[in-house]
Amino acid sequence: MDKFKLEILTPNGEIYNGEAVSVILPGEEGEFGVLAGHASLTTLLEAGVVDVEKEDKSVESILINWGVVQVDEEKVIVLVEGAVAIRGESESEIANALEDAKKLISDIADANPAIAAVSAKIESAAQNLL
Amino acid sequence: MANLKDIQRQIKSVSNTQKTTRAMKLVSTAKLRRAEELARRSRLYADKMNQVIAEIAGRIKCSKVGGIENRCFNKIENPKMVDIVFVTADKGLCGGFNIQTIKAVKKLLKEYKEQNVKVRLRGIGKKGIEFFNYNEVEMFDTVLNLSSKPDKVRSDKFIATSIEDYKDGKIDALHVVYNGYKNMITQELHVRKVLPIDTESFECGQEQHTSMLEVEAQDEEKMLDSLVNKYVEYNMYYSLIDSVAAEHSARMQAMDTATNNAKEMVKSLNVQFNKARQAAITTELIEIISGVESMK
Repeated sequence: MDKFKLEILTPNGEIYNGEAVSVILPGEEGEFGVLAGHASLTTLLEAGVVDVEKEDKSVESILINWGVVQVDEEKVIVLVEGAVAIRGESESEIANALEDAKKLISDIADANPAIAAVSAKIESAAQNLL
Repeated sequence: MANLKDIQRQIKSVSNTQKTTRAMKLVSTAKLRRAEELARRSRLYADKMNQVIAEIAGRIKCSKVGGIENRCFNKIENPKMVDIVFVTADKGLCGGFNIQTIKAVKKLLKEYKEQNVKVRLRGIGKKGIEFFNYNEVEMFDTVLNLSSKPDKVRSDKFIATSIEDYKDGKIDALHVVYNGYKNMITQELHVRKVLPIDTESFECGQEQHTSMLEVEAQDEEKMLDSLVNKYVEYNMYYSLIDSVAAEHSARMQAMDTATNNAKEMVKSLNVQFNKARQAAITTELIEIISGVESMK
């Protein structure tokens, strides 16, 4: 399967930089998926989870609070304000990441109903890893 | 010739100053490392953000997307009122760091005055504010303690006024002046025109690699609006981070020079002290000898 270059940047550094097979983004008008060779597009993202499918079929979930994505035929650049990647080598690392993610959710000031769903989603992402 | 006690007192005072400056240098070195790391990580984000904005600006200019009217991308002829935001340090003792920024602001003020444009000066950092207060230059508003501890929420709030006024048409341009970090020994002065977003540098005509911008029509305005907000907010925040790193590097350098100068001074004072001491001994000896001579 074709792959493309994906960069996810926060003001505090890169959170993801590498190849991906597909990525699902929480757009303002609903989730959308991007595969290699997608037509170029620039749009806003809202609080939600970015699911990155890597070459080895594993899926990494990254929680974001706001963002803008720029898609073109070869690469995808996601600029986000705050992000936490749900990943880690050991159980405790994953638990820590989950803690951070929950903190980020509670930080998102304008509470909207979507957030409850997001929180359930990252829980299940962490469960899958454990 | 100064007497021995005076010289001794001077030596002590200078070496005390030296101790202070050395300590300040060490503190700045430690703080610089942290600030530099933060600035380095943010730079990547800032660059990408500028790139995205530039691309959009270019597309709007070349009108490949029809019908987008956003004041932030329009070139405004004959501005009537502009905002100038300057960032200086809250503390001094950092060489020419603050004065460079102040000079740049003064130059900008003069330029606008010649064009009969009203300027709203907005200040961040105690040193710059003190300067303009002393010179009786009117400031629209001022913020303390933000340039030494950059805080995203506070900086967003500060710049939000300018963004809103710009969109409402109360001001016609927004400049940010700050002294940024280049490397350990040099600072670089930035005078940036944040709004309106510069579309001049974008060449039209050449076929772009990616030529489509797919956004839902009714969302274009909203999206651009929110993107521009983030862009300006982030630029402001990045200026603050960059300025802190520069402040520490400037202070480190200034304090290093001060320590060296103090060292030189102690050295020359020591020579003076020894000369005076020897002169005193010689005088005493002459007195004793001539006393003995006269008793013969």
